[in-house]
Amino acid sequence: MPIFRLMFIIAILAFLVVWVRTEVDRSGRAIGKLQNEVEVKEARNQYLKLEILRLSNPQTISQQAKEQFGFVPLHPSRVVVLDK
Amino acid sequence: MLKRTLSSPVVFNIKNRMRVLGLLVLVCPLVIFIRLFYMQTFLHEAFTSKAERAIYNYLAEDRLRGKILDVNGRALAESVRTHSCGISKRYVKDKTKTVDFLAQTLGLSKNYILEKWKESGNFFFVAKKIKPDNYIKIAEILRTPLGQGLELTPEYERIHPYEDSALDIIGAANSKNFGLSGIEQMYNKELSQDISRKRAKHIRRGEIIYDRKLKEDVSVGNVYLTIDAVAQYYAEKALRKAVTELGAEHGIALVQEPATGRLIAAASYPVKDGQSLAFQFTYEPGSTFKTIALSAALDAGTAHVTDSIDMEGRKWEVVKGFTIRDNQHDKNFLSIAEMMQLSSNIGAGKIALELGAKDLFYYIKAFGFGTKTDINFNGESKGSITPYNKWTKVDTVTKGYGYGVAVTPIQLINAYSAIANRGILMQPHLVDRIEYANGKIDKRAKPIKIRRVLKEETTATMKKILQSVVENGSGKRARIVGYNVAGKTGTAEKLSKEGGYGKRSHVVSFCGFLPVTDPQFTILVILDNPSKYAFGGTAAAPVFKEIAEPLLTWKGVKPDQLDFE
Repeated sequence: MPIFRLMFIIAILAFLVVWVRTEVDRSGRAIGKLQNEVEVKEARNQYLKLEILRLSNPQTISQQAKEQFGFVPLHPSRVVVLDK
Repeated sequence: MLKRTLSSPVVFNIKNRMRVLGLLVLVCPLVIFIRLFYMQTFLHEAFTSKAERAIYNYLAEDRLRGKILDVNGRALAESVRTHSCGISKRYVKDKTKTVDFLAQTLGLSKNYILEKWKESGNFFFVAKKIKPDNYIKIAEILRTPLGQGLELTPEYERIHPYEDSALDIIGAANSKNFGLSGIEQMYNKELSQDISRKRAKHIRRGEIIYDRKLKEDVSVGNVYLTIDAVAQYYAEKALRKAVTELGAEHGIALVQEPATGRLIAAASYPVKDGQSLAFQFTYEPGSTFKTIALSAALDAGTAHVTDSIDMEGRKWEVVKGFTIRDNQHDKNFLSIAEMMQLSSNIGAGKIALELGAKDLFYYIKAFGFGTKTDINFNGESKGSITPYNKWTKVDTVTKGYGYGVAVTPIQLINAYSAIANRGILMQPHLVDRIEYANGKIDKRAKPIKIRRVLKEETTATMKKILQSVVENGSGKRARIVGYNVAGKTGTAEKLSKEGGYGKRSHVVSFCGFLPVTDPQFTILVILDNPSKYAFGGTAAAPVFKEIAEPLLTWKGVKPDQLDFE
């Protein structure tokens, strides 16, 4: 009987070890996937930031304002400057 | 004596053979052990440094670099994280599909990838610094069977969101993120991450494990220039147009705040990484230098605004064999203001001669010519001005109208700013501040008075004279409705390779400030060797106007003329 008990305990322990390792492996894959998603989102975010910077270029703004809305620079003497 | 024969049992018996074999077996590990001991003890340092070099070299490529921004925080140079895509051949499941995917995603030919596959060992890079959208596509399939064997190695790429704007000042950094020229080089230490504090292990190709605590420890500084990206755009746009239309070799446009010495635009065209002509170009300024000679004479009291200058029939023989001619007017006498308006070389020469070599030299030096400005730009020239005791009479006269003296654009604009700033010469600044990740701010552009060059009364007179040049003289094309503009044109012949001055080779320029009542901007425009016939008044003055007008609008500067339409 003690042998069977011992075998039972060993079997349980073995099962636990297998289960833990499987869980670790599964969690590792899940974490890896999430990390990958984070990286993809970070890259997309960076790409968008870069686009914002490029579009905020005075040359781009000036060109777009002229082409889309027909804006032209105002002569400085026509600007009314209010006293602070 | 013991006599041994070939048949001696002492040599060949089994026991002795075993002893020899055992000894051999022992000697080999002993040799290895001794070698290991030697390496661990005596070669330890050499191997450690070799290993560290390999690690840090890798990190240098990967490390973050600070930004270079304009005064308002617009990024002019920024490091973005990109990736290199590599292949570990042994892990690739389906070669054809993987190659097809990479060729399509990265826009490469299949043959190119297959060639690399054939030529390299187990690992090779397919593409470096891939675009973020391509990175996204590859990263998404990385954990699928198609992505097996692919590796994305992080690295930083230096990008310039405003393209080539201010690139001559910003300079360049190499692929290992080290500054090579311009601000990138001058402030390399501040812009670079302190890698000595960043521990990492390079465990296999393309993968770095950082020390967790130190991974986010970013010690880089961001360098803020005094340059304003908008002002820089106006200056570059106007300059590019003028250089192209006139077929000039180079063009330079500088904008400075006279009261603080801060440069708000410094454009060179054509643009070369880290080679700003504003600090590195030396030239004989010609008539723009008459302002320096005249203000010196007025300040020293050897000339007065009411004086009248004899034009010697517009043909003045200074010494035998050296004659100056004024062909641009037909007057026998010129007032001081007229002398500047008509840009008379005879008048300026006589004023310089009256002042004397010693005093002229003193004022030229006091204005900062012949000395570096301490703006600390790499390759800045100090110009050239020989000591007055070596000057002949002709030298003194020619210096009065800007020949025989070599200046840099930054020196000239700073001297004009001193006149605009009531006679006080300010230290010019290019870097406003450095902000570190820990919140520390290192302010670099505090207004620093270098010295008083002219009396305030002298500058008031000079402002009126220079204003008259724009209103009635050679600088008419710099006039702006509503604003009083002061300035001086310059058309200087260049020294030819054959010796003497080339009649067809010129540097045309205009330097001035506005509004005269409360100067906000000093602007210098230089066009080097235009192929089309051009003068400072016809070519450079309109560029001055083209830069000044949008600047006034943008900064909301009030007109200082009351009755204008």
